[in-house]
Parts: sequence; C-alpha cells; structure tokens
Amino acid sequence: MIDIIAVKNLVKKYKDFTAVDGISFSVKQGEIFGILGPNGAGKTTTLEIMETLKPLTSGQVLIDGIDVTKHPWDVKRRIGVQLQSSAFYPEVRLTELLDMFAAMYDVTIDPMNILREVELEDKAKSYVKQLSGGQQQRFSIAATLINKPKVIFLDEPTTGLDPQARIHLWEMVRKINKAGVTIVMTTHYMDEAEQLCDRLAIMDHGKILKTDSPKSFIKDLLKSGFKKEVKPEQANLEDVFLNLTGSQLREGKL
Amino acid sequence: MKKQYRKLHQIRAFFVMMKYFFLAQTRNPATFAFGFLFPVVFISIFGLIGNSQPSLTIGLPSNSDLTNPIIKILEQQKFVKTQIAPESQLETSIKQGKLSGIVSVTFVSNNPPKYQANVITSLANPQEASGIMALVNAIVDRANLSAAGVTNPPITVVKKELAGRQTRYIDFALPGQIGFALLSTAIFGTVFGLIYLKKALVLKRMFATPTRAITILLAQGGSRLIMAVLQTLLILILGIVVFKFYLPHGFITFIELLFLSIIALIAFLGFGYFMAGLANDENSAGPLVNLVTLPQFLLSGTFFPIDNLPTWLQPLANILPLSFFNAAVRKITTEGGDFSQTIPFMLGLILWGAVMYLLAAKTFRWE
Repeated sequence: MIDIIAVKNLVKKYKDFTAVDGISFSVKQGEIFGILGPNGAGKTTTLEIMETLKPLTSGQVLIDGIDVTKHPWDVKRRIGVQLQSSAFYPEVRLTELLDMFAAMYDVTIDPMNILREVELEDKAKSYVKQLSGGQQQRFSIAATLINKPKVIFLDEPTTGLDPQARIHLWEMVRKINKAGVTIVMTTHYMDEAEQLCDRLAIMDHGKILKTDSPKSFIKDLLKSGFKKEVKPEQANLEDVFLNLTGSQLREGKL
Repeated sequence: MKKQYRKLHQIRAFFVMMKYFFLAQTRNPATFAFGFLFPVVFISIFGLIGNSQPSLTIGLPSNSDLTNPIIKILEQQKFVKTQIAPESQLETSIKQGKLSGIVSVTFVSNNPPKYQANVITSLANPQEASGIMALVNAIVDRANLSAAGVTNPPITVVKKELAGRQTRYIDFALPGQIGFALLSTAIFGTVFGLIYLKKALVLKRMFATPTRAITILLAQGGSRLIMAVLQTLLILILGIVVFKFYLPHGFITFIELLFLSIIALIAFLGFGYFMAGLANDENSAGPLVNLVTLPQFLLSGTFFPIDNLPTWLQPLANILPLSFFNAAVRKITTEGGDFSQTIPFMLGLILWGAVMYLLAAKTFRWE
C-alpha cells in the first residue's frame, strides 16, 4: 500500500519547550491511523502541523506527496479537518455553514446530501449550539467531507460523548473509511484505539514510543512474558451499561 | 497532479462568507441592542427634550404689590414664567436653582410718586441674573421716560430679525448618535466577536480551508460595514422623518453622511482589531473596550459640546477619533458647511485608522 502521509524527524519547539521531539511515521492509504497518548503528549500539535495550521520547527511532512511547508494551499484542498471544539459560527444554520465552507473550498455541494450522510437532515435549520455533543461531532465530520478529501484528521472525536454516541460515531468513521478516505485521529481512549484503528502510534512527551497495529502491540507484550494480575472478566461495566440501556443512539429532544 | 490554484475562488468565498457573517450579525441580540435599539432610544429622548425653549422663571413675593404696572408688563413677556409665593419660600427656591430671580416693586413716597424695583438674583446663575436685570431695567427705563413725559427719546433701537434656523438639541445630538452606533458596532462587535471566534476555534477551522486569512478578515469587515451603513440609514431616516433633522443640501448631505460613516467605521474597525489582538479573553477585553469607548462617548461631543469641557481637556478631546467624526458630520449638517471642510477631520480619522491597523498587525493573533 502507498504511504499517503510521511512524517520525517518532525520537531516543534515553543521557545524553551519542545512539544514534538523528532518523530517519524507514515500512514498508508485507506487505513485508520491513531495517535494515542495522554493529554499534553503532543498529539494535537502533530495533527495541526499536518493540517497546515501550525508551522514546523524542523523536519518534513508530506501529504499525498506534497510538502505541507512548501505547498500548504495544495495540501488544504486535499484534506478534511475536525478540531476539538465545535468550531462553527453560532448564529449560522447547518445548511448555511456547509454552503459557506463549500465556497471556501471552491466546490459545489448539496448540503442536504452531506447532512443525510451523518444523519442530521432533520437538523438542517438548526444552529450548532442547539445540537447535542454527538450531533456536533457528526456535523464537524460532515464538514470535513465537503471537498471530498483524501485524508481527514479527527482530533479526539469522541471526547465528552456518552457510550451510545461514541459507538455511533465509530460506525460513522468506519463508513467514511470504507468509502476510501484515509483517517488520522488522536485519542486518549484505549478502547477507541483498539476497536477503531488499523495502526497506532503511541506518543508521550513529544516522542513516538512505538507504531504498530493494536493486535501486534498486545501480542508482543504477551510474548515478552507480560501477565495481567487479575483474571480476565467475561464482561465489563460498559457491557452491562450498554446491555441495560441499549446501544441505540439517542439524542435529547430540542 | 496538482490542481492550478484558482484566484477567482477567493472572490466567491469572500461574498459567500460576507453574506453569512452578515446574517450571523442580524441574529445576534448584541448587534440589535448597541447598533439599533440604543441609538433609537437616545434619539427619541433627545428629540423630545431638545424642543424646550429657554426661559426665565421669576418669583413674585405674594405680599408685594402684584398689581403694579411694572409687574404686569413683566408677566406679559414671552420667555418669562412667574411664580407667586411667600418671599422666604422664593428665596429657598433661588438657592436650589429653581428660580432665576425674585422681583418686587415697593412704594417709596407719595409726592412726587416714587417706586423702587427690587431684584434678587443668584450668584450661582450669572446668565439668568443678567437676563432678569436687562429685562427689569428696560421696563423701568420705559416707565421712567413716559413718567417724565418723553415720548420721542433721542436714541431709539431698531430691531431687525433675520429668519435664522433654530438649532435644536436633536440637530446636535443626532450626529453624535451615528458616531455612537458606529463605534459600538466596530469595537464591541469586533473585539468580543473575534475573541469568541478564536476561543471556539471557528477561525482556525476556516484557516484549514484554502481560503486566505486576509479574505476571511475582509469578509468580516465587509459584513460589519454593511451593518453600519444600515444603522446610519436607520438613525438618519428616523431623525429626518420623525424629528425633522436638518440636512442643508438634502439628499447630497445624506450621501455625504453615509460616506463619512464608512470612513469612520473603517478607522474604528482598526481599534477593534487592535484590541482583539491585545485581549486574550472576554474578561480582559471588557475593561480594555470600556477604556477606549467610554471616554470617547463622554468627551467627543456625542452628548454635549466639547466647548463645555474644561479648557485644558479640550485639545485632547478634539483629537479623539469620534470627535473627528462628530465634528465632520456637524460641519455639513448643523453648520451647513461645504463637504471640503470635512477633509481635515477625515484625514484625522484616516491617520487614527492607519496607526490602529499597524498596531493590530503587530498584536493580532489568529488563535
């Protein structure tokens, strides 16, 4: 498979603080690539450099073969970006926002079609602030699809969502991925990384500790003789919760 | 295979963004309050209080001779209101500033008949005091002349009245209100608006698109400009239709006013962008915005003329940006001057604007 993203010796320094400390990794076309790490590990900074939103201190980032430092405008056309906060004008309706972003990407779209893809067609006339957390995140993802990007970047897409909304969002991400879009996402949830990502980079203190698939990570750990102290449970609390409340997505009536 | 970057795209993006930024403003209650409601309320108040005529209120002691011809003539004067009450009560009123003065006539002697006109005025109100003195002296002089049998005095006064236009308070206040609305829209809207957009990552999300930052900023400014023109229109039309605000050259003055408003708004927006760069959040923006707007609302001749300020403060007040705008507008409205007379004030505004945009370029941060 082709590498759609190549990051080489990437460094980002703020005065005397090094947020990203010489990392290298590559993302293959069509995969869901996760950057897993605690808060402050440098995940968002790495993502924002790839998204052309922050300048890098040294190193190189190629997206679809294009250097983000040399040709940021060509990169911007090929990517979709979702940020941590809802990031939309509070007094503009969903269809209007999509129409505005279409103009900003210089493409022609049918806003209702895009809303249908993320199951928000009945919220077309709503404002972002009237949406639930899960709906806001779905709308943010919808907005990444406007320019038919090759890669979309999702920054902690399920932070703050309830379990049903998370599962629903994962399904949506898988659906978009199946349609051929490469996905790069950050998360600090282990279950999310394990269930959703094809490959993971584990990051801490600005460095990538290891990159591999979730299964290989676990296999390697077990091979090294690691044993968990507690007996593996047949079910966990999340299974109980979802069993009792159902995995059906629900949204507050507005 | 790289797609050729299309320049035209920025123009489409500019207009579409401007449309939605404008819509967003119309849906924001703060725009409505500062830009429309406040100026309309102020103008209505000024339009109503502005029409009272200056007058002298004269107290007549109830125990004095109220039938005396001098008192009768005094009561017939157009601008005189009289009030009859016991003398002690009238003196209290004078000290409270409610009366311009007290006039009484006392009988001195019978043969020859002699009278004395007594005038009590307040030291605190020299203007009204001299008004009363002039009035009473004139009435007494005329009475003396006719008592002396002089029917044809050697000096006569011939009065000629020019059909002058009466300047009402609304004529003074309305230009100030346009300035008030423009400054509010430019500063409150821009500072709090941009801080929110930065904090909520709205700007950052827009920078992830191929639309240039300058296009986004211009669309922002453009949408505020349209809003400001609408505010100016509303205030002017309300002033003209309801309160008969005077435009010396009719429609031409109207267009000149709109033009001045646009220049002023562009300069004021510079202040907005500068302060949005200085302040990191709403909490630090609040005092900063008040620091810039409050002194201008008070000192720039918005509510009362700069001439009423202490002399040492006037040179400073005169160079405030809002003062330039107010002065320019009054030049072509109340003073009936030529549009070319506004040029020095416009240059002042442009200079302020240029300095602010330079500072804004230094302090402005996108996130």
